[in-house]
Amino acid sequence: MPTDRARSLSGLLRLLGKAVAVALVLAWSLGPIALIVTAAFTPERDIFATGVGWRPTFENFVALWQRWGDFFSGLANSFIVTAGATVLAVLASTLAGFGYSRWHSRFLSGSVFAMIALRLLPPIVTTLPLFPIVNALGLNDTHAVLIILYAAFFVSLGTMVMRTFIDQIPRELDEAAMMDGASQAQIFRRVVLPLSAQGMVAVAIFVIVYAWNEFLFAFIFTTKNAKTAPLVLSEMIGSLEGVEWGVLFAATTMQLLPILVFVVLCQRHLIEGLTAGATKG
Amino acid sequence: MAAVSISAMQEPRRALPYVAPALALLAAVILVPAVYVLWLSFQQSTFGRAATFVGFANYAKILADPYFWRALGNTVVVVLVVVHVEVVLGLAMAMLFVAGLPFRKLLIAAVLAPYAVSEVGAVVMWRTLFDPDTGFMTRVLTGLGLPPLEWSVVPSHGLALVALLSIWLHLPFTFIILYAARLAIPKELYEAAEIDGATPWQSFRRITLPLLMPAILVAMLFRYIFAYRLFSEVWLLTQGGPARSTEVVAVYLYLEAFRYNDFGAASATGWLMVVTSLMLAAFYLRRLYREMFARAD
Repeated sequence: MPTDRARSLSGLLRLLGKAVAVALVLAWSLGPIALIVTAAFTPERDIFATGVGWRPTFENFVALWQRWGDFFSGLANSFIVTAGATVLAVLASTLAGFGYSRWHSRFLSGSVFAMIALRLLPPIVTTLPLFPIVNALGLNDTHAVLIILYAAFFVSLGTMVMRTFIDQIPRELDEAAMMDGASQAQIFRRVVLPLSAQGMVAVAIFVIVYAWNEFLFAFIFTTKNAKTAPLVLSEMIGSLEGVEWGVLFAATTMQLLPILVFVVLCQRHLIEGLTAGATKG
Repeated sequence: MAAVSISAMQEPRRALPYVAPALALLAAVILVPAVYVLWLSFQQSTFGRAATFVGFANYAKILADPYFWRALGNTVVVVLVVVHVEVVLGLAMAMLFVAGLPFRKLLIAAVLAPYAVSEVGAVVMWRTLFDPDTGFMTRVLTGLGLPPLEWSVVPSHGLALVALLSIWLHLPFTFIILYAARLAIPKELYEAAEIDGATPWQSFRRITLPLLMPAILVAMLFRYIFAYRLFSEVWLLTQGGPARSTEVVAVYLYLEAFRYNDFGAASATGWLMVVTSLMLAAFYLRRLYREMFARAD
């Protein structure tokens, strides 16, 4: 039957088309990452050679350790700043999320609105007045300044996500606790906090990915002691001029892999957070 | 007695201790600086020197500066290209995933991977791919008989690489928004359309696209606002060069402030960015404002 054959042919074509599309999507998403990560484990002289087999090696990482001690203190700084910003942002967001979920007034609505509008302002604009102020306060090149900046730029998204989560915790639980004589602070700590863990995780993921990778603020506000890993990486791009590719790829890989693994592991929360965040402000 | 305490607890003033830390953080880091930038934009000011009032001179200065217009033009072109290509690719990928794929979870993890990559990391990757001598993509292009991308020499090539890199970094966001929205469309609609004899293209045009429109608009709006901030990719790839030809607005602002030490002109640029960002967001903010005050009473 010709129609049967035509149908199975078109089915085959559709399958082939799908396979090609998937291959393209994978090459696009993973290709650039795979290139750098494999190159990091390739001997320097083989990286751009054609026709040589792959001889995996750690020599680029050893060279990185020997020549760019700065990069490792950069990783440590990134870790401290990320941890600090995450704690600060999650704490402030959860408190505010509770406030906005349980109380309503025109002032509160107005302030939520202001929060969302402020989040839309370009970060580089705030660096102009902050730069002299940070200098005057002696906060230049400290972890604290980055922690505060990173937390501030995520606290409004965080608050919206937390408010949505806390809205779903029945108020009857609050009232029951109140009958038992709990204060508002106790209700927050004992009732709301344990039940909003999932929202806190979603907020934390955003802040962690942002703080670990951020470049602009680190570039403007740190020079030496608090330099984060992306900043050291950018200095390596500037100073290498095509000589030490292996070291650069090793550093890129070390900066990337922890956060990549983290994102893959938190995929489900990340997707929930992204969709909630985009629609809720 | 319990009833009394409940109504006392509902007093809005009691929310203040909870919302105060978040509001303080935003006021100190964003609101006050933004207002201060407005004030600075009317002053003649360099770092470490007292400011003097000059009216609209800073605005006049940047609006007469061909480099500002060039930066603005570059920004507009890059933002339009990046956001629209992202939406088209994101939509196509969402359709591919909805059509049913094996190892869906694993594939989504792969698609999300660029979300984890820093701007600096992405610059390392894409410069390597397009290195004029050794880059893999350079070899592919020459193999196809096409000219290589001379991104460090030719301004339009530099901006093309910036756009490519931004699309790569942000496609996961656009994809997730569109994919989630597509999954929320009830299956029954497509079944009914099929019974009525609709072709796949017709159900895409008549069902998918109209129902996805709100999500597409939200994704585009967010991407417009965030793409407009574009700084790191340009700074790390070309530093705005050669000869200031690939600058974008944020790079222009940075150079005015931190290289040419003209905080007044930089602030005027900054305030123009603030106003344009809010104008871009006006539609979204207006809708939000209505919802919010509907909720208050």
